[in-house]
Amino acid sequence: MMLTPPFNLHHPTTVDEACALAARLLEEGRPFDWVAGGTDLLPNYKWHIETKPDVISLARIEGLDAIETDRIGCMVRLHDLAISEVAHPLIATAASKVASSLIRRSATLGGNLCLDTRCFWFNQSEDWRRSIDWCHKADCGSGAECRVIPNQNTLCVATYQGDLAPSLLVLNATVELIGPSGARTLPLRDFFQLDGITRNVLKPGEFLLMVHLPEDAAKRRGAYRKLRVRESWDFPEAGVAASWVPGDVSSLRLASTGLESIPGVHDALVADHGDWTLPEGRRELAEAVKGAVKPVNNTALPPRYRKAMVSVLAARAMGDLMEEV
Amino acid sequence: MGVGMVGEAHVPMLPAPPSVVWRATVNGRLEELLAPSNAILLDVLRDRVGQLGVKRGCDLGTCGCCAVLIDGEPRLSCMTLAGDVAGAAITTVEGLADGHHLAPIQACFAEHGGSQCGFCTPGFLVTAQALLDRTTNPSASEIAEAIEGNLCRCTGYQPIIDSIKAAAEVLRGEAERAEPRTMPHADPHPAGQDEPILPPGHAR
Ligand SMILES: Cc1cc2nc3c(=O)[nH]c(=O)nc-3n(C[C@H](O)[C@H](O)[C@H](O)COP(=O)(O)OP(=O)(O)OC[C@H]3O[C@@H](n4cnc5c(N)ncnc54)[C@H](O)[C@@H]3O)c2cc1C
Ligand code: SF4
Ligand code: FES
Ligand code: FES
Repeated sequence: MMLTPPFNLHHPTTVDEACALAARLLEEGRPFDWVAGGTDLLPNYKWHIETKPDVISLARIEGLDAIETDRIGCMVRLHDLAISEVAHPLIATAASKVASSLIRRSATLGGNLCLDTRCFWFNQSEDWRRSIDWCHKADCGSGAECRVIPNQNTLCVATYQGDLAPSLLVLNATVELIGPSGARTLPLRDFFQLDGITRNVLKPGEFLLMVHLPEDAAKRRGAYRKLRVRESWDFPEAGVAASWVPGDVSSLRLASTGLESIPGVHDALVADHGDWTLPEGRRELAEAVKGAVKPVNNTALPPRYRKAMVSVLAARAMGDLMEEV
Repeated sequence: MGVGMVGEAHVPMLPAPPSVVWRATVNGRLEELLAPSNAILLDVLRDRVGQLGVKRGCDLGTCGCCAVLIDGEPRLSCMTLAGDVAGAAITTVEGLADGHHLAPIQACFAEHGGSQCGFCTPGFLVTAQALLDRTTNPSASEIAEAIEGNLCRCTGYQPIIDSIKAAAEVLRGEAERAEPRTMPHADPHPAGQDEPILPPGHAR
């Protein structure tokens, strides 16, 4: 059994109350984490990774779990997304491929987008990490190096393995963030920020409130392909999402996950390549996506294999788009 | 704030979390107890409420041994903050049977070899019951999806799938439920003089 680290759990019931509480904790210099479903935070906490003395739960805040065609609240559970008839089919499919049916009943959309990056030198018990004298991401003040890219302690290349980001990226989603200094909305593609420690642009005290989808998302047809060790619940070792407005070849969008510290957007490659509706064009474009990603050795499968599979997944995802509805 | 040693570095020692009143209905009974603010549901159910049918396997979300029904939905108690589900109706494997009469799913697991060493069984029973509560005619893929988060090292899964199908048949009224091979015991778990006396708060 693993001992849960001590922390004080808070349960605000409104967004305003959550922001006020965050502001108060920041002012008092008390570091804290948000928790949604807890399926990512709690395993890390049990391993005593980056624990904080205060944790604010979003579970009791009313109104964050609504699914509409143009917006989805951060506390929507992946199980509800997967069976939703309102959500875009691509989002429902991607949600259904996350973890297991048991975990999807707790896991949330916001937690999936804000998922901590993963690395096999890092997602380990405290004793295990102590035995290798820590690593840069959780160095306990030791100034340890990164174990994946040694001789440096400035960059962490832990892998982002969230399943929903690529599908939301190819639908051009935007995210609404809220915190003590107010709300702001930005494209999801600008939300993620290197490196594996920084993860995203959330400022202290801010949380992800809502995902918005543009009007044209409903017209798009999408596909998501995922490489995992066991189909039952493993994280993506690589994942590629594609979408297009059927009939408009230039409308193709491609995005990937599970390969770098942040998800990859590959729209620029689409413009540079020929007609992907033909098998030859698809292969070329898929090879270009493969060339654009740089997986490192910190997940279950070796990077060379994951990289090779990116072009397979990309070609298959584009192939899925071509299939008759 | 005290200072403790971790490796080479000094990190501040954290104060103990405050205790809060935790209320929930567990197997139809209202439980009210003091639990630390950071309590995990699995620990509360086992150590405080005394429902030892909730098993701790991996403690990390990968095995499904700790599954319980929270307001009718199967979830992992090892990955649930007790505070998040205060006020909910929780059913553990102990709550499936009707008194000393096994539920159809339990009788079918016994009959079809769905349980061998038994460690995974409470989790499977709870997830299978949740599936059967939704539909008494689950397809093969619905069964597979329902139990994808439960690991079993003994049975090879097929006997478990057979047990779930058999229980579904009983619930649809297409089959008689199997007669138990042993006499049902009025109180299989007497909490009396024979029970070892354990320190408070542990494994009670
Ligand atoms: C066995 C297992 C298998 C898994 N498999 C997969 C998989 O295949 N694919 C996959 O994508 N994930 C997988 N996961 C990870 C996780 O279950 C999901 O990513 C889930 O969606 C996380 O959501 P959550 O609500 O539980 O997050 P939490 O654990 O509550 O939070 C995760 C992180 O995000 C932060 N956070 C949460 N909500 C917000 C918010 N609204 N605003 C700002 N920050 C927030 C938290 O502070 C924390 O750092 C798996 C986990 C386990 C244990
Ligand atoms: S990538 Fe390097 S710094 Fe980041 S978690 Fe892994 S070993 Fe640590
Ligand atoms: S103990 Fe909860 S899933 Fe293994
Ligand atoms: S019966 Fe032994 S693990 Fe399933």
